[in-house]
Amino acid sequence: MLKINGLKAEINGKEILKGLNLEVKPGEVHAIMGPNGSGKSTLASVLAGREEYEVTDGDVDFDGQDLLDLSPEQRAGEGLFLAFQYPVEIPGVSNINFIKTAVNEVREYNGLPNLETKEFMKLLKEKQQLVELSGKLANRSVNEGFSGGEKKRNEIFQMAMLNPKLGILDETDSGLDIDALRIVANGVNELKTKDNAFVVVTHYQRLLDYIVPDFVHVLYDGRIVKTGTKELALDLEEKGYDWIIDEFKETV
Amino acid sequence: MSTLTISDKERFLINQEGQDFSHEAKTFIKIRELALKNLKDLDFPTKKLENWKYTNLRGISKIEFRPQSAINIIAEKVKAHKIPNLDAYTLVFVNGFFSPEFSDTAEEKDGKFVVTNLNTAKKKFIKFVEPYLGFQTRAKDQFFVNLNSAFSQDGAFVYVKAQQKLDKPVHIINLVDGDLVAAYPRNLIVAEKLSEAQVVVSYETIDTASALSNVINEVFVAEGAHVQMDKIQNENKNTTHISADYAVQHKDSTFTINTIPANGKLIRNNLSILLDGTGCTANLNGAICLNGDIHVDNQTYVNHAQPNCDSNELYKAVVNDQAASIFNGKIYVNKIAQQTNAFQSNANILMSNDAKANSKPQLEIYADDVKCSHGCTIGQFDDEALFYLRARGIKESTAKKVLLEAFIGEVLDKIKIEAVRDYASALITKNFNSKN
Repeated sequence: MLKINGLKAEINGKEILKGLNLEVKPGEVHAIMGPNGSGKSTLASVLAGREEYEVTDGDVDFDGQDLLDLSPEQRAGEGLFLAFQYPVEIPGVSNINFIKTAVNEVREYNGLPNLETKEFMKLLKEKQQLVELSGKLANRSVNEGFSGGEKKRNEIFQMAMLNPKLGILDETDSGLDIDALRIVANGVNELKTKDNAFVVVTHYQRLLDYIVPDFVHVLYDGRIVKTGTKELALDLEEKGYDWIIDEFKETV
Repeated sequence: MSTLTISDKERFLINQEGQDFSHEAKTFIKIRELALKNLKDLDFPTKKLENWKYTNLRGISKIEFRPQSAINIIAEKVKAHKIPNLDAYTLVFVNGFFSPEFSDTAEEKDGKFVVTNLNTAKKKFIKFVEPYLGFQTRAKDQFFVNLNSAFSQDGAFVYVKAQQKLDKPVHIINLVDGDLVAAYPRNLIVAEKLSEAQVVVSYETIDTASALSNVINEVFVAEGAHVQMDKIQNENKNTTHISADYAVQHKDSTFTINTIPANGKLIRNNLSILLDGTGCTANLNGAICLNGDIHVDNQTYVNHAQPNCDSNELYKAVVNDQAASIFNGKIYVNKIAQQTNAFQSNANILMSNDAKANSKPQLEIYADDVKCSHGCTIGQFDDEALFYLRARGIKESTAKKVLLEAFIGEVLDKIKIEAVRDYASALITKNFNSKN
């Protein structure tokens, strides 16, 4: 589904990703961990199409398409979803109109007609329940005045509404209490099928107790330096990153 | 033989003469005479004047604008400027002259209110007009105000008796038709004690290659009265529009003015609000969305003369292409005006490198127990918000429209009449796109 090959990217002339390889297949959950500044959020941003980052080398194949050739909205249309680390507040745009516009634009991209209001409302209710998001938030401005937990649940709610092929969660767990974490993880687990995939970018092993990954990757200095199974996350929790960094430096 | 030289201003004034006002009552002729006298010592404002620093009227004094009544007004062309779905008393003025055939008036002597043209009111309702007309426009130093006072042909007269309410809004349509037109429409709106009125004033163009609209709105809001005024400026790109809007408020009254300068060559708005009783509220809002090379200059002056009054100003501008938006808001708080609440906000989004915005808040406070605040921002488009919408699959063009609508929507929501809000919103949405 997603094949990243030798990806290099920089921002303001500073190289952050230095030749990154990653392959994600349908039905898989990948966790990407790593110390601060290793390039985790950059990877998420580059995949979603944030324009401040310049890709200098490598390629990304998304279901047979050259992902890097697509605009952010085309990537969303193709089924890529980024749950933001810092969801943006948009005063004056109601949450419900926002998600309705998004759903219908993605449908239009895929040659589907707009959802009837009745169908849309049904879907809305169902997905709100999934992440225990109060209906009251629907009429509020997007993320404005939302608590940290509400913002992150709103991201998962949007993901559920858009039903992407590939969901990328950029530190969705940071700042969440246990209850919110459980709700977010439960949302992701409910959405998981054999046809879609998730990339979970996180600092902490904690989230991986709830969303069980098939693979755990350690990102360091713009490259994936170690790949393992969910046990690797436990090792990291216990021993930190230094041993991997040392291991990596020895091989270089 | 000596050579006789004549200044541009004198030539301009001569061009305005030749209108016969001799049929008017003496009291009204006096207003004109006083204005003419003031004009002797005045001239077209230049950029050297602080309040005209950003607005250049150079050249306008040399254009041979003249008052001219329109001939052969085509009904269809007037109807095109009605606001769809607006149920209102409609008064139509073309080049400042009343068009009774397109207007519906309310002139019953013992009615709850009077809605008619000012010339009719000057004869038929002189007692309602005389105490108010020209009362607020005696400013000796205002060239364009005196110009209108001297040469105004006609305008709307709205008078609501004490404790009465206009059963529907009044829509005053001001049209310009013909070349080198100088139009001087002048409206007088009086809301007596505990009365209510909603007035919509629109300025539009039938056709002109060059025109000057020099307009005045004079509003009196008596004790406990409520007046809301929506002002839509939608003239063509050959029209220079200079507007002076005055309101005086008495105890516990509310006055709201929503200004929507959408189209024209140059638009200048001078708002002057006097809070002359305790417990008043004044709301001044501006929804500004500009493209092409239009120049819009909004000046507001709120005078807190009495204690316990609130004033709220919200001006938001989206500026595209080479357009310019200027905001200069002055709040004056008199020594006795304790417990004043005065809030002012001006936010601007520049959409192109050549777009300009100037913002100048001025506070002059002589009381010590007041709450005054002002804030102005001039910024670019919010790229984070734009990316967020695009990352959810929303096309860039749609995403921009959504964000601009949200930004301006806060001001448009102040317009209470739905049909007017829709009309203003459509004008604004059209201007989101570049003209280049």
